[in-house]
Amino acid sequence: MNTVVQTVGLYKHFGRVRALDGLDLDVQKGEIHGFLGPNGAGKSTTLRVLLGLARATSGSATVLGFEPWTQAVDLHRRLAYVPGDVRLWPNLSGGETIDLLSRLRGGTADGAAYRRRKDRLCQVFDFDPARKGRTYSKGNRQKVALIAALATDAELYLLDEPTSGLDPLMEEVFRRELLAAVDRGATVLLSSHILSEVEVLCHRVSIIRAGRIVDGGTLDSLRHLTRSEVSFAADGLDADALARLGAVHDLTLDAGRVRFSADSDRIAEVLPALGSLGVQGLTIVPPSLEELFLRHYGERVVGAEPGAATPSEPHHGSRRHLLGARGRN
Amino acid sequence: MGVLVALWGQRLRRDRWQLASWIAAIGVFALFAAAAVTQTYGNVASRTEILQVAIATPAVLMLRGLPRGADQGAFTFFLIYAFLALLAGLMSTFLVVRHSRADEETGGAELVAATPAGRLLPNTATVLHGITANVLVALAVFAGFRSQGLDAQGSLTAGAATGAVGLSFLGVGLLVAQFMGTSRGANGVSASLVVLAYLLRGIGDATGTPGADGTTMTEGAASWFSPIGWGQQTFAFSGDRGWPLLLPAGLGVASLAAAWLILGARDTGASIWEARPGRANARRGLRSPVALALRLQAGSITGWGVSGLALGLLAGSLGKAIAAVDTPDTNVTAMLRAMLQSQGTSLTQLMVSVLFSMAGVLAAACALQAVIRLRQEEAAGTAELLLSTPVGRMRWLAGYLLLGAAAVVLVVGLAGVGAWTTLTGTGDESMPADALWQTALAQLPAALIYLSVPALVFVLWPAATIAASWALLALGVMLGILGAMLGIDQSLRNLSPFAHTPVPHGDATDWSGAWWMLLIAVAAAALALAAMRRREVGPA
Repeated sequence: MNTVVQTVGLYKHFGRVRALDGLDLDVQKGEIHGFLGPNGAGKSTTLRVLLGLARATSGSATVLGFEPWTQAVDLHRRLAYVPGDVRLWPNLSGGETIDLLSRLRGGTADGAAYRRRKDRLCQVFDFDPARKGRTYSKGNRQKVALIAALATDAELYLLDEPTSGLDPLMEEVFRRELLAAVDRGATVLLSSHILSEVEVLCHRVSIIRAGRIVDGGTLDSLRHLTRSEVSFAADGLDADALARLGAVHDLTLDAGRVRFSADSDRIAEVLPALGSLGVQGLTIVPPSLEELFLRHYGERVVGAEPGAATPSEPHHGSRRHLLGARGRN
Repeated sequence: MGVLVALWGQRLRRDRWQLASWIAAIGVFALFAAAAVTQTYGNVASRTEILQVAIATPAVLMLRGLPRGADQGAFTFFLIYAFLALLAGLMSTFLVVRHSRADEETGGAELVAATPAGRLLPNTATVLHGITANVLVALAVFAGFRSQGLDAQGSLTAGAATGAVGLSFLGVGLLVAQFMGTSRGANGVSASLVVLAYLLRGIGDATGTPGADGTTMTEGAASWFSPIGWGQQTFAFSGDRGWPLLLPAGLGVASLAAAWLILGARDTGASIWEARPGRANARRGLRSPVALALRLQAGSITGWGVSGLALGLLAGSLGKAIAAVDTPDTNVTAMLRAMLQSQGTSLTQLMVSVLFSMAGVLAAACALQAVIRLRQEEAAGTAELLLSTPVGRMRWLAGYLLLGAAAVVLVVGLAGVGAWTTLTGTGDESMPADALWQTALAQLPAALIYLSVPALVFVLWPAATIAASWALLALGVMLGILGAMLGIDQSLRNLSPFAHTPVPHGDATDWSGAWWMLLIAVAAAALALAAMRRREVGPA
C-alpha cells in the first residue's frame, strides 16, 4: 500500500460557504507533498478533516488506511501534526509541552534516547525549553510544535505552514530535519504558500484553489505545461532573422536583448533556429513555481466570491499580491 | 481628546451586552427585594419580629447586613445591600482586568499603544468606562428602590453606596492587574478581595452589639476593614450619612494613583510579579489529558477549596457565638429555640445548613469553571494540539468531567472538615457528626448538575458555554437560594437545583430531591459524552 493520504470528492460546507468543493488529494509513501494555495483556499480545513477534527460534509478521506473521523485515535498514534498558528498553554514551559505531546503520542518509550533527540532538536533550533508558554514569540511557539513532532518517529507528518514565524536560518534547520525524517521513511504533507520552500523540498505538489485541486503532479510535469523564458544579445540581428524563429510568444527587443517565451515542451524545436542565428549570451530559464502558481491565481480578484473567478493568465495586480506574501520569507 | 473618546467608545461597544446584563441584574435584584418586603413584611410589626429573630441568629446577619430599624426602606437595605455591593465589586474588577491585563496578554494593548493613544490613555479610558458603569449601577439601584415607593433620599444613598463600592474595586482591580502577569491571576485575586470584603463585613455585622430596641445593631470592628462595610455605614433610609462614602472613594483614588505610578514605570506587557522560568522537562506525572487538566486548574481548584474550608470553619464556630450573644428580647430567642427543638434540630444545625448551601454554590461554580476551561482550551487552539495526539474527544471531555466531580467533592468535603474542626474545637455538641456529614453530602447533587449541564451546553452549543453556564448559576442562586427572600413564586423557585437540596434533620430527611438531581446529572453527563463523539472540535 503506497498511498498514504487519499481523498475522493471531499466537500466541507460551513453554512453556505463551501470550504472544500470536491477535493481530490493523493499523497504517496515517502514523498514530501506540497499543498499549495493562498490564504482561505481550504488548506487548513483539509488538514483538519485529515486529522479527524472536522467531519467532511461528503466524500471520503483515508489516511494511513484509517478513516480519520471514526478512527482518529488509532490514526494519531502514527502521525504528527504542526498547526499553522501554534497556541501553547500559558503556564506550561516549552519543554513540558514537548514532553506532554510526545508522551501522548507514545514516542517517549525509549526514555534516554527520546531525551537525547529532544535535547539535540532544542539545540539545533536554538530553543530555550525552560520558559513559560506565554512568554514565547510566534517563531518560538512554532518551534515547540516542530520539536514535539520531530522528536517522535511518525509515519506521516501533517504540517500546516510550519515555517511561519521562523527566521531564514531556522527554516534551513527545519528543511534539514524534515529531509532526515523522510530518509527514515516518513511521508510529509506540507501545506504552504511560500513557493521557494515548496520548490526546494517537495517531490510533488497539489495546487488548491477555492476548495478544489486545480493542478498537481511533479514540478517537472507541471513545468511542461508552461513557457520558458529565452533571451540573448540582439547584436547584428534583424527582424527578418527573428521572424524565422517560429513558435515563439511575446517577442520583444529591449535594452540590447531579445526576449521571448516558448512552450516548455517545444523548446527543442526552437534551438536549431537559435543555432543558425549564432546568438550570443543565450539564457533559457525554466518557469518558476511562482509562475505556475500565478497561472492559477492570476485572475483572482480581491473580495470576489470563492469559485467565481476562473484560472487564466497572470496579470500584474495579483503578481504584486503574491510577491507580498513571499516577502515574509 | 478625540483619541480618548474613540478608546472609550470601543470599551462601551465591547462590553455593551455584558455590562447591560450586570447593571440590569443589580437593578432587578434591588427592585425584587423592595417588592418582596412590601409583599411579605408589609407592616412594622412583622418586620420588627423578623429583625429580632435575625439579631438572635448571627448567620442571617452574616448573609444580609446590619439591622438599622424596622422602617420599610431600612429593612430592605438590610436585606439586599451587601449582595448588591458584592455584585458591583465583581462587575468592576472583571471590567478593569478585561481592559488592562487581559488586553496586554492578547497583544491588543500593544497594538493600541503603538498608535498616538500611547500607553496611559487607554487606561484613562478604562477608568472613565468603569466610572460610567458604576454611576449606572447607582442609578439602577435608585430606580429599583424608588419604583417600589421607597423614600427618594434613602434610595439615592443606597445607590451611591453600591456605586461607591464598585468604584473602590475599580481601583483595586487595576492595581492588582499591575502585579499579576495573567488576566486569570488578576481576576482571581481581585475577585477574592471582593469576596473577602463581603465576608469581613459579614463577620463584623454578626459580631455587632444589639441595640436596646431589638431592631438595630452596632457593627463589630471587622466591618471597618471592608469597602462593603463602609457602604453599609451610610445607613440608607435610617440617617442617610454621606461621609462614609469618602472611604471607598479614597481607596479607589489611592489604588488608581498607585496603579498609575506603576503603569508609568513599567513596560507594556510586563508585571511586577513576572513569570518564573519553568522546567525544561515535564514531571513524570504529566502524561495524560487528566494530568494536564489538573495542572491547568490546580490554582483555581485550590482557591475554591480554601473558600469552602473557610466557610466550613465559620459555620462550625458560629453556634457557640450565638450563645454568647446577649439578646435583649429573650422571648424571641426562646421562641426560636423552642421552634427549632420541636423540629429536632438546633441553631447550630440551622447555620451549618445555611452556610453549607453557600459551599454548595462555590462547588457548583468550581464545577462549571472546569467546563468553561474546556471551552477556552478549544477557542484558544490548544485543544487542537492535544487532540492531534492519540487522545479521543470523549476521553478529553471525560477527563474534565472526572476532575470537575472530584473538585466538587473536595470543596464540599473541605467545608465539612472545616465545620467539624471548629465544632470540635469550640466544644459545640448540638450538631452530631453524622448530621454534619449528611448536610455536606446533600450539597453534592445540585453542584454536580452544574458540572454536567454546562458540559452538555459545551457539546451542543460551544459558543454559548461561558455565558450560559454563569447565567444558569446566577438564575439557580436567585431562584433557589434568594427566591424566598425575593418573594418569587414557589413553582419558579423549584426550577433551581438548589431548591431541591435536602435539609437533613434526623430520620425524617427527604432525600428524593438528591436522588433525582443525581440522576439528572448522570444522564446529562452521559448525553454530553455520547454527543461529543459526533462533535467537531475547533475554535469556531
